[in-house]
Amino acid sequence: MTQTLIAALADAKWTFSTRRVDCGLVAGTDTNFAAARPGDLILAQVDSLGQHKRVQLTTGRPSFIYPGDMIVLACGARYAPDQFEGLAEIDPAGADLLAGGGCIGRLVARNERIKSATRLLPMARLLDAAGMPLNLDRFALPATGRGPDIPVIFVLGTAMNSGKTLATAQLSLGLRRAGYKVAALKGTGTGAFGDFNEYADTGAHWVADFTDAGMVTTYREPLERVKQGLDLLLCHAADRGCDIAVMEVADGLFQRETGALVADPWLKQRMSGLVFACGDAVAAAGGVAELARHGLRPDALTGILSCSPMAVAEAEAATGVAVLRKSDLADPAEANVFALRAGAGSRQAA
Amino acid sequence: MHQADIRTFITTNTVASPAGSLSARVIRPADLSGEPPVVALHGISRNADELVTLFAPEAHSSGRIVIVPHFAEARWPHFQRPCRAARPDQALLALLNHLAVIDPALAGPVDLFGHSGGAQLAHRFAMLYPNRVGRLHLAAAGWYCLPDTSMAYPYGLGADKTPDSLTWARRHAQALATYLRLSVHVYVGTADDGRDEALRQNTKLDQLQGRTRIDRAAHYVDRFRAAARAQGIAPDISLTRLPGVAHDVGQALRHDNLAAHITQNSILRFSAVS
Repeated sequence: MTQTLIAALADAKWTFSTRRVDCGLVAGTDTNFAAARPGDLILAQVDSLGQHKRVQLTTGRPSFIYPGDMIVLACGARYAPDQFEGLAEIDPAGADLLAGGGCIGRLVARNERIKSATRLLPMARLLDAAGMPLNLDRFALPATGRGPDIPVIFVLGTAMNSGKTLATAQLSLGLRRAGYKVAALKGTGTGAFGDFNEYADTGAHWVADFTDAGMVTTYREPLERVKQGLDLLLCHAADRGCDIAVMEVADGLFQRETGALVADPWLKQRMSGLVFACGDAVAAAGGVAELARHGLRPDALTGILSCSPMAVAEAEAATGVAVLRKSDLADPAEANVFALRAGAGSRQAA
Repeated sequence: MHQADIRTFITTNTVASPAGSLSARVIRPADLSGEPPVVALHGISRNADELVTLFAPEAHSSGRIVIVPHFAEARWPHFQRPCRAARPDQALLALLNHLAVIDPALAGPVDLFGHSGGAQLAHRFAMLYPNRVGRLHLAAAGWYCLPDTSMAYPYGLGADKTPDSLTWARRHAQALATYLRLSVHVYVGTADDGRDEALRQNTKLDQLQGRTRIDRAAHYVDRFRAAARAQGIAPDISLTRLPGVAHDVGQALRHDNLAAHITQNSILRFSAVS
């Protein structure tokens, strides 16, 4: 049975979150799903289609899925108020496709506006030659031996879909146009290639996310683990010659890990600049006030808010913080302001 | 590609940018000194050919790469200052970024020379991207953007109620201290005292900066020094009056070998340097 399943791996759809995995290390399987922990590799069969009708492949393209398809994903939790909340638990009788990037777990809550999760039949947990479960953390980037000594512009926001990813991409574009080698990084969230590809399309010198640090999701991961992952990405950005990093922190300020990061001295120590994305003026005022409670003040507001001149005027009046449109962030003259403030100009000249 | 002399080659490069395309001649001597490239910006006569002729021998003797952009009139009716209507700064940045990719010798800050309208763009570019500039050489600018927040852009760095004014003020504010630390050399001919058609003339500008390029150069140097000292920065700016030189880039660059002084970073020995 094990050999049959291993043979099936060759034709299986390996999802984005598994892109760093060395498939050649798979030497066995088990069905001890009760022991599965976040990041363990799971071979599953599509049972019935729900919200996700496609998965994201390691090759960077989406693939339609059909009942009976075999897919490889990682056990993980999910935090997505617009979609699902899920836990890193595998029920042998049936599990849920929590994210198209390749996250399997147990659905615990669903946004009323979307369908139920696509159902999966767990077939096997993937093991190495020693019989140990293969986990994403084994395939994380190696330690670099240097510190995370690179200016970082963080991008925070009020919630999912407030404009953080666009802001991260456009600021990366502006910095690249200004002549900087930029690392565009997704610090937290659940693995998916949408944001990753959007960053890469800007011509950023290096693009990475938390899956490169060995996590399929940062949701429900210990804060220390999340911070270690972020530092690992920053170390690699510095090691690869980047002048500056733009790092998106997923979801809203009240989300579990984001809130913990905002409250942690780590963020202020690493921060060379801060952009806050939000949808309207009241959200802007609330976000700026919440950040102030932690001793933080954004250098700029952006997001859906910036599309409305009236909302911009209200937000600027309420907060005293400039609102930047996506075209502003992509403007090298504007991006250079962030870089100079962060001290990246001297790194670039050196 | 053609040969300027036996060991100096001139290539033409054209790059696209969000603001429009820009071409430039790159004068590359065979033996490089390792000094940063010099970028030479033409004025409204768009005499890039003349700049190539004037700088090619100096590139050869100094071992420095000289880049001569050409802002073609059809695409760049206005190129002297970044504004809503035209972003020559973006095109120049795209050019420098492109050249740095294809030739490592062209990476890093450049020395920037501009004459007349080219001097206007040169100092305004440097105010936005001071980290991309080594030395700044400004010859016979018609007028200047003063490092003074009490007046709105483009005369100064403050804001008024015009569209985008706050945007430009914000962009300049962060870069100002770095700009004021640059080594800046201002040149003007002693015969460049006419109020010709090319000189921007209005009552406000005359009152603020003076009536001639000579007055305005002197005023700019004074204001630069004052702004630097106000920020605790020791200003490194000089004003050189070129005896008998009119508003003519050829005359200016040939005068006492100014082109060689620019490419060789040597000190002018005119008594009129202040």
